Amino acid sequence: MKKIKITIGGMHCASCASNIERAVKKLKGINSVSVSVLINKAIIEAQDNISIDEIKKTISRLGYEVENIEQ
Amino acid sequence: MNHNPHKESFEDREIRVWKKRLIGVWMFTIPIVILMIIDKMGFVLFDESIMTFIILILAFPVIFVFGFKTIKSGLKGFLSFYFNMDSLIALGTLVAYLTGVASFFFSLQDYSGISSMIMAFFITGKYIETKARGKATQEIRKLLELGARNARILMDKEEIEIPIKELKIGDIMIIKPGEKIPTDGIIVKGESSVDESMITGESIPNDKTIGSNVIGATINQEGILYVKATKIGKDTFLSHIINLIEEAQSTKVPIQAMADKITRIFVPSILFIAILTFVIWWLFADLSKAFGIAVAVLVIACPCALGLATPTALMVSSGMGAKRGILIRKGEAIQTMKKIKTIVFDKTGTITKGKPEVRELFSLNKEKDFLELVASIEKLSEHPIAKAIVEYSKLIKFKDVKKFKVLRGRGLEGEINRKKIMIGNRTLMNENNIFLNKFEDRIKKFESKGYTTMIVVENKKPIGIIGVADDVKEDSVKAINYLNRKGFRTIMITGDNEATAKAISQRVNIKEFIANVLPEDKANKIKELQKSGFVAFIGDGINDAPGLKQANVGIAIGTGTDIAIESGDIVLSKGSLIGVVQAINLSKATFKKIKQNLFWAFGYNVLMIPLAITGFIHPVFAEIAMALSSITVVMNANLLRNQRI
Repeated sequence: MKKIKITIGGMHCASCASNIERAVKKLKGINSVSVSVLINKAIIEAQDNISIDEIKKTISRLGYEVENIEQ
Repeated sequence: MNHNPHKESFEDREIRVWKKRLIGVWMFTIPIVILMIIDKMGFVLFDESIMTFIILILAFPVIFVFGFKTIKSGLKGFLSFYFNMDSLIALGTLVAYLTGVASFFFSLQDYSGISSMIMAFFITGKYIETKARGKATQEIRKLLELGARNARILMDKEEIEIPIKELKIGDIMIIKPGEKIPTDGIIVKGESSVDESMITGESIPNDKTIGSNVIGATINQEGILYVKATKIGKDTFLSHIINLIEEAQSTKVPIQAMADKITRIFVPSILFIAILTFVIWWLFADLSKAFGIAVAVLVIACPCALGLATPTALMVSSGMGAKRGILIRKGEAIQTMKKIKTIVFDKTGTITKGKPEVRELFSLNKEKDFLELVASIEKLSEHPIAKAIVEYSKLIKFKDVKKFKVLRGRGLEGEINRKKIMIGNRTLMNENNIFLNKFEDRIKKFESKGYTTMIVVENKKPIGIIGVADDVKEDSVKAINYLNRKGFRTIMITGDNEATAKAISQRVNIKEFIANVLPEDKANKIKELQKSGFVAFIGDGINDAPGLKQANVGIAIGTGTDIAIESGDIVLSKGSLIGVVQAINLSKATFKKIKQNLFWAFGYNVLMIPLAITGFIHPVFAEIAMALSSITVVMNANLLRNQRI
């Protein structure tokens, strides 16, 4: 299991955060997702073989920008 | 922590963008408002359709240029069925705008001026809210910017300056007075005091000398320091603190669960209610009215206030805590803290400094010989008491020890010159049927002074005793007195025997004590105490990890430069027990704020949505109310700072 921290741009509301949480949680291999509007970050716990690209795509499809990824 | 201090911060950029939109929307909305007021006053400047046309043109950039992002993000919600706040505003303003267009063809009230005003107030609200949110996160951002950018290092006997990213473990950094220490390290040359207030909240600079650990981003006061870098990048103390705070934001306070659930279904529900409202008003009144009321319903609903209620308060609280060396790791602790009745303190390193020293000894032999014997055995142990004895002996040449054995929680044994030596506590003596006879009085006297008393036995006969004491931290009494006054049941837990434990607990005014507890049994003792209510346990993060986990709230006391603590719901980076008092006060104040915010956010929606549905609120006022409600929540959270903790 690994922890991924993603900085997300364009969130400005609590419902934005909960949308991202919902969408990312649906991906395979995700254990937990928590998105904070205040620090503009998603903290994700996922299996080691998770596809970062998939997460990135999911977030941008909702209309938010992925600015930085730390693993 | 990938942050470039030269780059404009996230929050600053956000504020700048909203400000640009703010100026834009009002540039076009103010003329609309003026026109509408003149119209309302009965002056006819233009023909009605020309008036509508002018307003449509003025409102166009407001909705489609400055409001573009909002409209786009809102519509995207409709396409993907992930609705957000913007979906409501987008639909509300678009519908209102289109009534203006439609009014050319049908007999319909024109709401296009209203749509411009809604967007203007929405953006104004967002601007104020973003600023307030920036305030909520200010302490955290300060921490992010705290790290040094450059380091001066010694390379081939020459001083060179390098960017912090190129710094490697083992590099010798040179820090002049007044300069920031680039990263965590150990002093190899020089002496100074270091101001660590920005990280631990400790206001008095700490004296540092060769061998002392220093923390990156703290400030060297008067001497030149040569520091060997021991931790860089993600592993530094500062990075750990930032990490802890960020991760705390991702933990949930239980009370928020309900609000989260509502936030999730909020927007779709409002869309449904708005449509229903529209249809009903259309059927029972007329289309124009139906449009106005449906728009009011769309824009009055405020999921933001609900969603921000808890995180904003938690963020402000984290920031306030961080400034005082209190790191809240789990949001849940804030809620649980309210129910705590019993506070259990570990003794060593928590109530006391964790640095035992030999205070008194008594021996039948010559003191020098006695110490030589004892220190030679103690030298082989890592226990703090053993270290204290070795240090006290000032022995350089140690005797050969055979058959050395550590007797956990009891003492040590070994053979020197064929003599069987045993050093340990009463338990060990009882186990080995050693009679203390004439030592009994002296041991009792030591114990009554709060000394941890070690008995030295040679071939089953006691030959001396050593009294070791660990000084009580300066603030311990003050903190415990405070907690007693507040009605907590305070308990000390220790491996010491009854007599010693009693002496120390009396010294710090702690109400009860549990003595003779082996380290591994601490968690069980806490479990027993939990039968009669919620228990907080305060201990160091390393040895006491199981106890910290078992307790309802675990408060880990950081020891100096290492806070890579995995256990503990709250971590105190400063050793003082006053931190416990502050953590309790901060948690209670924060929880109160969260409750206020949730009450407000729920109350607002429960009250305002029906008012909008029944047509009592004009769409523009609906929007103003909505903006105010989320601003109120964020500002109320910021008010937490006024609390004295």
